[in-house]
Amino acid sequence: MVLLDIFDPKAPPRPIGIDLGTTHSIVATVREGRPVPLSTCDGTSLLPSVVYYSPEGGILVGRAAAAHVTREPERTIQSVKRFMGRGADDPETKKLGAYRFVEPETPEAAKVVRFDLGWTRPSAVEVSAEILKSLRRSAVDQLRTVGGAVITVPAYFDDAQRQATRDAGRLAGLEVLRLLNEPTAAALAYGLEKKQNGLFVVFDLGGGTFDVTVLRLEDGVFQVQSTGGDSALGGDDMDREIAERLLATLAPSNARTPELVSLALELAREAKHALTEREAVELDVHAPGAKPARFSLTRVEFEAWIEPLIARTERACRRALRDAGVSPAEVDGVILVGGATRVPRVRRAVKELFGKEPLADIDPDLVVAYGAAVQADLLAKASDEVLLLDVLPLSLGVETMGGGVDRILPRNTTIPAGARSTFTTYADNQTGFEIHVVQGERELARDCRSLARFSLKGVPPMPAGMARLEVSFDVDENGLLHVTALERTTGRSQTVEVRPSYGLSDEEVERMLIDALDHGEEDLELRRLADARVEGERIVLATRKGLASDADLLTPAEREAIERALAALEGSIRTATAARTIELAIDALATATHEFAGRRMNRAIAAAIAGKAVGEVEQSVAHAAGIEAHLADKGAH
Amino acid sequence: MTDPFTILGIEPRFRLDLERVGARHRELSRALHPDRYVDRPANERRLALSRAIEVNQAFGIVRDPVRRALALLARHGVSVPEGSEPPAEPAFLMRMLELQEELAALAAQKDVSALERFIERAAADEASAVEALAAGFSELERSAPSPEVTRELIRRIGELRYYRRLLGEASAARDDID
Repeated sequence: MVLLDIFDPKAPPRPIGIDLGTTHSIVATVREGRPVPLSTCDGTSLLPSVVYYSPEGGILVGRAAAAHVTREPERTIQSVKRFMGRGADDPETKKLGAYRFVEPETPEAAKVVRFDLGWTRPSAVEVSAEILKSLRRSAVDQLRTVGGAVITVPAYFDDAQRQATRDAGRLAGLEVLRLLNEPTAAALAYGLEKKQNGLFVVFDLGGGTFDVTVLRLEDGVFQVQSTGGDSALGGDDMDREIAERLLATLAPSNARTPELVSLALELAREAKHALTEREAVELDVHAPGAKPARFSLTRVEFEAWIEPLIARTERACRRALRDAGVSPAEVDGVILVGGATRVPRVRRAVKELFGKEPLADIDPDLVVAYGAAVQADLLAKASDEVLLLDVLPLSLGVETMGGGVDRILPRNTTIPAGARSTFTTYADNQTGFEIHVVQGERELARDCRSLARFSLKGVPPMPAGMARLEVSFDVDENGLLHVTALERTTGRSQTVEVRPSYGLSDEEVERMLIDALDHGEEDLELRRLADARVEGERIVLATRKGLASDADLLTPAEREAIERALAALEGSIRTATAARTIELAIDALATATHEFAGRRMNRAIAAAIAGKAVGEVEQSVAHAAGIEAHLADKGAH
Repeated sequence: MTDPFTILGIEPRFRLDLERVGARHRELSRALHPDRYVDRPANERRLALSRAIEVNQAFGIVRDPVRRALALLARHGVSVPEGSEPPAEPAFLMRMLELQEELAALAAQKDVSALERFIERAAADEASAVEALAAGFSELERSAPSPEVTRELIRRIGELRYYRRLLGEASAARDDID
């Protein structure tokens, strides 16, 4: 038993995993090879994803914030995840809820929903950043130094929602190593201990989103086969079903104050939890301005009300199985994630659909954070023991002249993925070009989710139809889209400037960071310097490792050049007073190692083709316990 | 666009053991996935990312019989731009038309089990078309492509495309009923 946490000043910063959930958020880390949750500011593992903005200008997060929900529901932001990446006219923002939103004055402003709290008008990104800041502070308290973070997102999150999550991380002062899909994280948490090849389904029903993922685990590689779900379906919707009926009995629709709505939602949540244990429940309702009432509800009634929600999850499951080209019988195990999977009707639905008892022995509330912590740890070690191959959740397309969609990357494409499309101009001397990127499966662009309008500028003037604009759409391992454009006709590849219309630009994030810090610019510079040092040290380490293993790929002259650049970087890490100095030294080292990197990569590829890695893989599978053995341990049948 | 067979380091043939190609893809991903380059400078990460994308693209091409066939033809210097295939034979087109009409009727009736039977038949037709293509390509492996052989292969690719489009539409119709 560890009584004292001895702080080793030379220990590297600890990487962390964060589950930024709709109702709860968790931060976890890997300690002695196992993921463990860290204590939040509430002293628990689960931090309610609630942020309260007091009229006097204070901000509270967690249980303290949740205490204000009944009396000041407009100032207590719950389930902010539902609003990430969404605009003011998104149907999600119009659902039953107690918040006041800022009326957007321009179409630009309408892109990002903002809560109207008087002295402050934060976007969903800024509210989420408060939660992440709290988790970060807790992590720093317990780990002394915090390294990079992996933050999880629903698999079904589109690009705008992912960008928003990453921006929130940056605002909170976190180095976001990677965005990880929640079901993949859950599979990682289960799969790593009980490594066994097979086909698994992750059924993730959280507060606000539903994800179903079909994964194949083979020789240490977790490969997503398909993903599906509903980014607007979760436990909160079950609460709303109850709350609607409760409100109907309490007050006519024009007398629904935010306080009343909030109370109804609270009671609904309690009822839902109670019905997991009992067949019937009775609630005492003390609504302000109404006489005390009794509301009774049976499990049978509740199940009838949520039947459409259950049907939606079943539909999404069947579709994901079809996309993966597998039948329910071929599935070796179903992993349950998210608090809402505790609802008996949900478990029954899963059992009926897949014909087997689901796996739920890792706490469904913690399993995603555990997976994130494991991934963060793997990334920090640059390990190749385990690899996660995720897929694009939604098809990516470009709007055509007639309003249709030209699909450039179909859904369930393994990422990172890229596609190239060639466009041309329709008017003489046209120097600009707009590309509307959409995500979704429908035939018409207006039925899909509008992702971004990229403006290409700097096209050389020439007759209509002559320009060859080659646009590359690359989706990285986070599921984030990067667009670059080249104009080829001019003989030389001329980069065309691409500007997305969503998300925060680097300048905007910087301005937010400056505003958030008490001493503004000065603190930001210090933070940048600290970040640059950390990055520099990491690169020095990696380069030295590379030299140790692959020095035979270099001529003595090349080696010397690299050593010189390394020494210069190490020197600047020690003495620099500005981040820029270190960044320049990093760039110089990058130039010196560019060729070397290419050769090392070729060597790794050749090794892969020669099947050299196969032997190592066999070893890691050999000492795996296997899920069956695990189940046997638990005495499950 | 570099040849997908070269990128994956596999034999440029139509008949492939897709299990082994999958294993090769996993091994290459292990070597190149951006997650392994987190601690390297930005230019190295970008290089790894672009090569990982290449590998994924190559795998996507090789896994898909139509794209695999086109890539094999490309290796012999034959390129088949979209829409430039010779028109399919009248008998074949008639059959396609009949199948389209049948599908439209089933979709309108929202008959799930009939649709699923239709999908099964369409999948069987597609499998036969793939087999026909495989047979055609084994000819190619023995000798350089003559114009007749090339034309015949392109025709078979065209037929496979029709079957796949039909299968895609049938699956979409079945999805819509959900």
